Amino acid sequence: MSGDHIHPEPTNFFRKHVFSGDHKVIAKQFLWFGLIWLGIGGLMAMMIRWQLANPGEAFPVLGPMLFPRTDGVLDPATYNTLFTMHGTIMIFLGLTPLMIGALGNWCIPLMIGARDMIFPTLNMLSFWTVFLGGVVGFISLFVPLGATEAGWTGYPTLSTTVGGVGMGETLWAVAVFLIGASSIMGGINYMTTVIRLRAPGMSWQRLPLTVWGIFLTSVLNVLFIPVIGSAMLMLILDRVFGTTFFVPASIMQGAGGGDPILYQHLFWIFGHPEVYILILPAWGIIGDMLSFFARKPAFGYRAQVGAMVAVTLLSAVVYGHHMFTTGMSAMLGESFMLLTMIISVPAEILFFSWLHTLWKGNLRLTTPMLFSIGVIFVFGLGGLTGIYLATIGTDIFLHDTYFVVGHFHLTMAASALFATFGGIYFWFPKMFAREMNPFLGKLHFWLTFVPLVAVFCIMFAMGYAGMPRRYYDHTSAEYLVSLQHMNKAATHAAFLLGAAQLIFAFNFIKSRWFGKPATQNPWQVGTLDWTMETPVPYYNFKEIPTVHTGPHEFSHPDLPEGQDWIYMTERIGASS
Amino acid sequence: MNRIANFLTGRLLSARWSSALAVLLLAGVAEAQGKRWGPMPPASDYGYRFSELFWLITTLCTISFAIVVILIAIPMLRDRDRKGHKAKYDHGSALHDKRLTAVISVITFVVLDAWVLVIAMRDLREAYWNVPEVDEPGVYQVEVLAQQWAWNFRAAGEDGEFGTADDILETNHLTVPEGRSVSFQLTSKDVIHSLFLPEMRMKRDVNPGAINEAWFKPIQSGEFTILCAELCGYAHYQMHGHVTVLPEAEFDAWEAGASQLAAAGYDPEDEEAHWAWDWEQ
Repeated sequence: MSGDHIHPEPTNFFRKHVFSGDHKVIAKQFLWFGLIWLGIGGLMAMMIRWQLANPGEAFPVLGPMLFPRTDGVLDPATYNTLFTMHGTIMIFLGLTPLMIGALGNWCIPLMIGARDMIFPTLNMLSFWTVFLGGVVGFISLFVPLGATEAGWTGYPTLSTTVGGVGMGETLWAVAVFLIGASSIMGGINYMTTVIRLRAPGMSWQRLPLTVWGIFLTSVLNVLFIPVIGSAMLMLILDRVFGTTFFVPASIMQGAGGGDPILYQHLFWIFGHPEVYILILPAWGIIGDMLSFFARKPAFGYRAQVGAMVAVTLLSAVVYGHHMFTTGMSAMLGESFMLLTMIISVPAEILFFSWLHTLWKGNLRLTTPMLFSIGVIFVFGLGGLTGIYLATIGTDIFLHDTYFVVGHFHLTMAASALFATFGGIYFWFPKMFAREMNPFLGKLHFWLTFVPLVAVFCIMFAMGYAGMPRRYYDHTSAEYLVSLQHMNKAATHAAFLLGAAQLIFAFNFIKSRWFGKPATQNPWQVGTLDWTMETPVPYYNFKEIPTVHTGPHEFSHPDLPEGQDWIYMTERIGASS
Repeated sequence: MNRIANFLTGRLLSARWSSALAVLLLAGVAEAQGKRWGPMPPASDYGYRFSELFWLITTLCTISFAIVVILIAIPMLRDRDRKGHKAKYDHGSALHDKRLTAVISVITFVVLDAWVLVIAMRDLREAYWNVPEVDEPGVYQVEVLAQQWAWNFRAAGEDGEFGTADDILETNHLTVPEGRSVSFQLTSKDVIHSLFLPEMRMKRDVNPGAINEAWFKPIQSGEFTILCAELCGYAHYQMHGHVTVLPEAEFDAWEAGASQLAAAGYDPEDEEAHWAWDWEQ
């Protein structure tokens, strides 16, 4: 097996840096790729917010360069493209590569004590497939007959040739398909690696929660990405080859006879697990991080793992809550409502465990810790507002309003983003052998946290007032004019939020090349990834380590005086 | 104790109290500035149910979230890393920890979810999805054909039959009687739209290739809003219109006039206009 012996390090530039099979190189490739797309997606968000606050005014500075035809003003088609691609990019090209691609690749072998992923070539292929997907997605913005405009959900018949959206829609579907294929490759690789390559003594009960989170995400990826893959294939067939999977007979002059609702089922059977695909690694990361920086064992480790497994299982049976207004029967609606609400039980167990981990700890409020606590806060807000949307009585009014936008941004976007930031700040010293500036890190946290909460809480008020989402200009309808002040406020907060990310970009780039050289274990944490020297050698572990202790044995009474942590490879009480 | 409990269940947590307060507060602020922070007041008979449930959930969520914030804040202030301070070594795997976790989860589920669930199911069956039967007297039936980017409405007119010369056709505007249930059957010519009447607290997707149903009963006359709530392309944001609710007598006069006018202007050659279907059940 590839993990068992030490490979010679490739000397060829391409094999070393471009088409590398080394999980650490691939993790960094995913990291840069994800960060660049995060920037592009973020810029798109700024343009969207600008247009909503100042309808029909030219986007300052960049506008005239990007949209010379309209002198920098976004037209409705461009606006639709922007929010479509903002969603697609942030989910598939930003958060997924960062969280699963970069942190997953980095953490799994190092944390379980393996020399590499079990399938290094598949790993490489996974990156280059998502890269290709990104390229196709980018090209789709510039095709002559118009870019995609059907929303990240791409509902037919709008997304078929009936809807009259641009030809870029086909390329969009191809891109999503490719990115999905990449995720499946990653998922199979991660699952197999965790199952087969754990070091001796690394039992399932000693697996760091981060690895648990990524492992369960991989299971969801492998199970549900094929569903959206099939939906995208059918959409491509409908668009290019004239099939009618999603086009009903009534609008094809009697030919064909598909159903647009079929697509919604396929999309959300994938789409709801996708939320958990992004949130499970985040839960895992913060489950570990809260324990690491509270210097206290993770409270209820088994309960946390159990809750994550329960959510993984439940995620498959709740997707109908995205479709309450489509006209489902009362029985079906009530079933989905109940199933959705049952998810609050495992979520509640997680919250309880996190809060209890903090309680009576010895908190080190480092940047990764701040971001982890931030996840509890924003996920709390997002999760609780989920109750409004799970409840059909309130969802009927709130569906497709800004309330939903605020909810899912806090739940999956902000939580996943915060955990990603926390993870980057945490593993950066190991990855690049340099430290990030802690002051800039904390500044970045606070300047991200406050405006972010402001933006999405304002959106709750907008949604409660009945403002529909995906509107180019809210001042066009009388009912919405008196709500415009909230659009303005949200935009101000959003621009602050965007500006704060420049601090991160600066800190990241500067620290990458000019940061203080990092020590082997700056955070004083015992998991296996911190047991080897910095920078990590090509083969990771000189010897495959043997694990004797759990990942969270902080402040154990038998530890020597003045030390509150122990490596997983050591035995408590044996060293002194 | 009993009296306190009764007060709590009867007043405080029925959410009418808190909702009324919150609405008053928000309305006051908004009124003062000519801005709006919430939805327009409900104008349909089931509209109050939305606000009531919304503020019940808000009350419960605010309490829960406040607890979470307090439980984050206390350790952040009290249990900071300092010399000589040690964390408590506790895996939380003892039996009493498991019991506590289970009890808190169950309590939260019952208070936060089950309560809301029961009310929502009642509302669903009594109101939102309780579409009037086809033979129910006094129901005003409207067929809706949505298209990129307009709402086409068709009422049966004086003869009560769809697809006849006296059908009343309106575009981006709908006239309905006050105090009678308005029952919709909706379909689309092209893409998915969603008929959203914010003041009526009604929303229903309009799917091509299938007929969907929805209803509301206006309880006050006036001009109200129609919006499209499902992305339908370039001019999605402009796909809006108005509902005019007329008092019963006024409406009857309007209906007779409009029906006769429609019959007079009926063009049997105009295929485009003959999109009616038999009212389905």
